[in-house]
Amino acid sequence: MTQNMGFMPGCSLPSYTPEGVKQTMEYLKQVYPDLGGVQKCCGKGTKALGQEEKFKERFAGLQKDIDDVGIETMIVACQNCYKTIKETSDHTAVESLWTLLPKIGLPEEVRGKAADSDVVFAIHDSCSTRYEKEIQDGIRWILSELGYKVEESEFSRENARCCGFGGMIVPANPDLAMRVMNRRGNDFDSDYVVVYCAACRSSLMKAGKKSFHILDLLWGPVVYLDESAPEDVLSSPAKSWINRYKSKQIVKKVVKA
Amino acid sequence: MEFREKVLEQASTITDGCMGHEEAFCVAACPMHTDVKKYVAQIGKGDYEAALKTIREKLFLPNTLGRICAHPCEVDCRRNTEFGQAISVAGLKRFAAEKADRKELWDDAVGTPTGKKVAIIGAGPAGAQAAIDLRKAGHEVVIYDKLTVVGGMMRVGIPEYRLPREVIDFEYSYLEDLGVNFQMGVEIGKDMTFEQLREDYDSVIVANGAHVGSIPPVPGKDANGVFNAVDYLKEISLTHKFPKVGKRIAVIGGGDVAMDCARSSWRIGADEVFLISLEELESLPASQAEIDESQEEDVQFINGWGTDEILKDDGGKVTGMRLKKVISVFDENGRFAPTFSNEMKEIEVDSIVFATGQQVQDVSNGLLEQKGGGRYVTDSETLATNLPDVFVAGDASGGAIVVQAMALGRKAAASADRFLKEIDLTEGRQFKFEYSFETRLDVPLPKGTENLPRTSGNHRPAKERKWDFKPYDLGYTDEQAKKEASRCIQCECKLCMTECIMLNDFGECPQDIFSEFLEKGEIDPVIPYSCNMCGGCTHVCPNDYGIGETFMGMRKDFILHNDGKSPMEGHKAIEIHQKLGFSKVFCTKVKGVK
Ligand SMILES: Cc1cc2nc3c(=O)[nH]c(=O)nc-3n(C[C@H](O)[C@H](O)[C@H](O)COP(=O)(O)OP(=O)(O)OC[C@H]3O[C@@H](n4cnc5c(N)ncnc54)[C@H](O)[C@@H]3O)c2cc1C
Repeated sequence: MTQNMGFMPGCSLPSYTPEGVKQTMEYLKQVYPDLGGVQKCCGKGTKALGQEEKFKERFAGLQKDIDDVGIETMIVACQNCYKTIKETSDHTAVESLWTLLPKIGLPEEVRGKAADSDVVFAIHDSCSTRYEKEIQDGIRWILSELGYKVEESEFSRENARCCGFGGMIVPANPDLAMRVMNRRGNDFDSDYVVVYCAACRSSLMKAGKKSFHILDLLWGPVVYLDESAPEDVLSSPAKSWINRYKSKQIVKKVVKA
Repeated sequence: MEFREKVLEQASTITDGCMGHEEAFCVAACPMHTDVKKYVAQIGKGDYEAALKTIREKLFLPNTLGRICAHPCEVDCRRNTEFGQAISVAGLKRFAAEKADRKELWDDAVGTPTGKKVAIIGAGPAGAQAAIDLRKAGHEVVIYDKLTVVGGMMRVGIPEYRLPREVIDFEYSYLEDLGVNFQMGVEIGKDMTFEQLREDYDSVIVANGAHVGSIPPVPGKDANGVFNAVDYLKEISLTHKFPKVGKRIAVIGGGDVAMDCARSSWRIGADEVFLISLEELESLPASQAEIDESQEEDVQFINGWGTDEILKDDGGKVTGMRLKKVISVFDENGRFAPTFSNEMKEIEVDSIVFATGQQVQDVSNGLLEQKGGGRYVTDSETLATNLPDVFVAGDASGGAIVVQAMALGRKAAASADRFLKEIDLTEGRQFKFEYSFETRLDVPLPKGTENLPRTSGNHRPAKERKWDFKPYDLGYTDEQAKKEASRCIQCECKLCMTECIMLNDFGECPQDIFSEFLEKGEIDPVIPYSCNMCGGCTHVCPNDYGIGETFMGMRKDFILHNDGKSPMEGHKAIEIHQKLGFSKVFCTKVKGVK
């Protein structure tokens, strides 16, 4: 393990949960004391709009940040960051937090903590990593380590369906986006859905599901039936940007600690 | 706005290869392209009248075909190719006809009169279909037939227990409704010359079928008591008798016509019926249903034997046959070339019926060229002949079953219509769709498809039915028909359309969207900007088409032509978000410390 590791929270995750970012980074820092950190957008949104040139420019900015702080392997918790860096960077390795955790293990205190939870979680896989079986396995591993019961749907893993947020369609065709969200919600029998992308979480909340980010389950209180899901923060731009700012401070603080 | 080559290429790959509009196997196999999938579904829903109307869009003989169609659709049916249990398409067709067909539903509109007159030789299905289409095109039509009854081989070949004659008459009354004129009992070439016909009419369609029964050159073939299938079945059809035949009858042949001869033999009072074929039982050319039904009726099969000699008494009367054992029927090139061993056996019979093929008689007094089996030489796509005003249809041009005869009748009529209107015979015509074709449809079976057995029909007991000419098959009940219809897989691709919501907003399948894009050279940006880029379409597409990728290419081009900005109003906010996502306020980079 000679590689210099770093963590990058991305966009939607730090906008949703600075607390989740904090706990994750603190744990990673225990495992990798010299953990670095970058907070910046990977440019996926720019790319999705079709802005090739601007994307190149913006990704180059990210790449420079990564290089400036000497990170060789970037740990990401967002499937789009994972894909973008994997496809675009010619020298930075990328590792998904969801495949890393099974390797480094979960902190002792969270293991088995949800064994008495009466919730059965459906799993919403991210469509952008529909063929990344290892990431999908990692999510299931984490859930089982925590002690949660899960149910698979017909549209799991490589058959995953879009949450409705993808491809920048929300602002382009909001009515369609809402139909896609509702359809995705209906794919699950359980009211409780676990996701591993904060934007997907927001979509499923809109579709009336009690949806939890896996980091909510990892670091937050054990979820029992009839409990409601955390607020749909991403629906409020003001709150999201405030959170993003908080997360940035957290990245700095944890790395330097 | 110009799109880059790559996008155009991707769009044309999808347009060319997308199977969204490919015909189901049954529809493609039917030479008339009856919308089988649709009417089977309608029967399943109990909407029999709608089903009947769907059938009548293509077929004027729903009940007839429902009973006797050789149903190429069932051969290609996915339930046959996968499980050997085809949907009983013909049976369902008959059911719809019996339930819902009424004259009031028939479309008797004809075209504006053109002043042109067409003569058709033959009132079989080919001639009848040609007559219908020509009346619809506004031409005057006269059908000549040497018989006094309509239907051709359906009337005098196909036995009555399979096809009641009143069904034919009822369905043929449609032609009278359309104003087709019939000259029955007139044989062209005998009662009236072909040349005369050409003189009296602007165009002639020759649909005289294959009515010359052939007997192979075996020793003793001239004995008293040897007949051919055509004459045998014709006389039985018209009179329910065949006085010249004896009581121990051997039918030679292994096809459906042979089965008809064998089964008809009981019905005119035979004591014993043998069916002798070169082929072994497993490789008989006859349909399995006909084989099974013949065996149920106690026809004795002697398979794998050929005629060595017909034995006769001093008076020249048949007394039996000497048979020789077949070694092989076809040579290595698949050509018919039977070989025999020295093993012989004799059977005692008093009559022999050869069901070994029918040939086409020349009605043209040598004016039309003929080839193997007497079939006229025609252009296979237009059915044109060496005479510009003459077209050939049906068995006479190479068809072999009723529904093919109809498609060929339609083809000949289309050509005659063009000839009469002085339009080029081929221009703009899609010949592929004028006959059976192979669909490009190639899709996995829908999830959870089970092998459900074909719903068996209601046949009268063999012991009872074999002595009369009444229908042996009583058809489906409501319940049976619905059950059978519900087995239909409704073959189609459109897998991406069940996966993707967005595509459904803009077309029936990707082919619609991308072909329109290619045609117009442009696309409403809302289409590519409505794609989630989730890859679900590609994941389920049997061809793995990069539909989202193609939309992505379009987006890039829109940006290029719009000053680097998205053409979508709503994306303004995204641009701001993206800018912020890269701004100093919200970004940081921190080097790790030990
Ligand atoms: C015994 C038998 C059983 C069959 N069973 C089936 C079956 O179950 N299913 C199926 O799909 N197909 C079956 N076929 C084949 C089917 O009947 C024919 O393919 C179809 O009838 C051909 O139609 P057509 O219009 O070309 O000719 P035909 O139906 O043969 O009609 C030709 C007409 O032309 C008339 N004609 C002939 N010469 C002259 C002349 N010189 N002047 C005036 N009129 C003339 C004849 O009288 C006849 O009415 C069977 C055929 C036979 C022989």
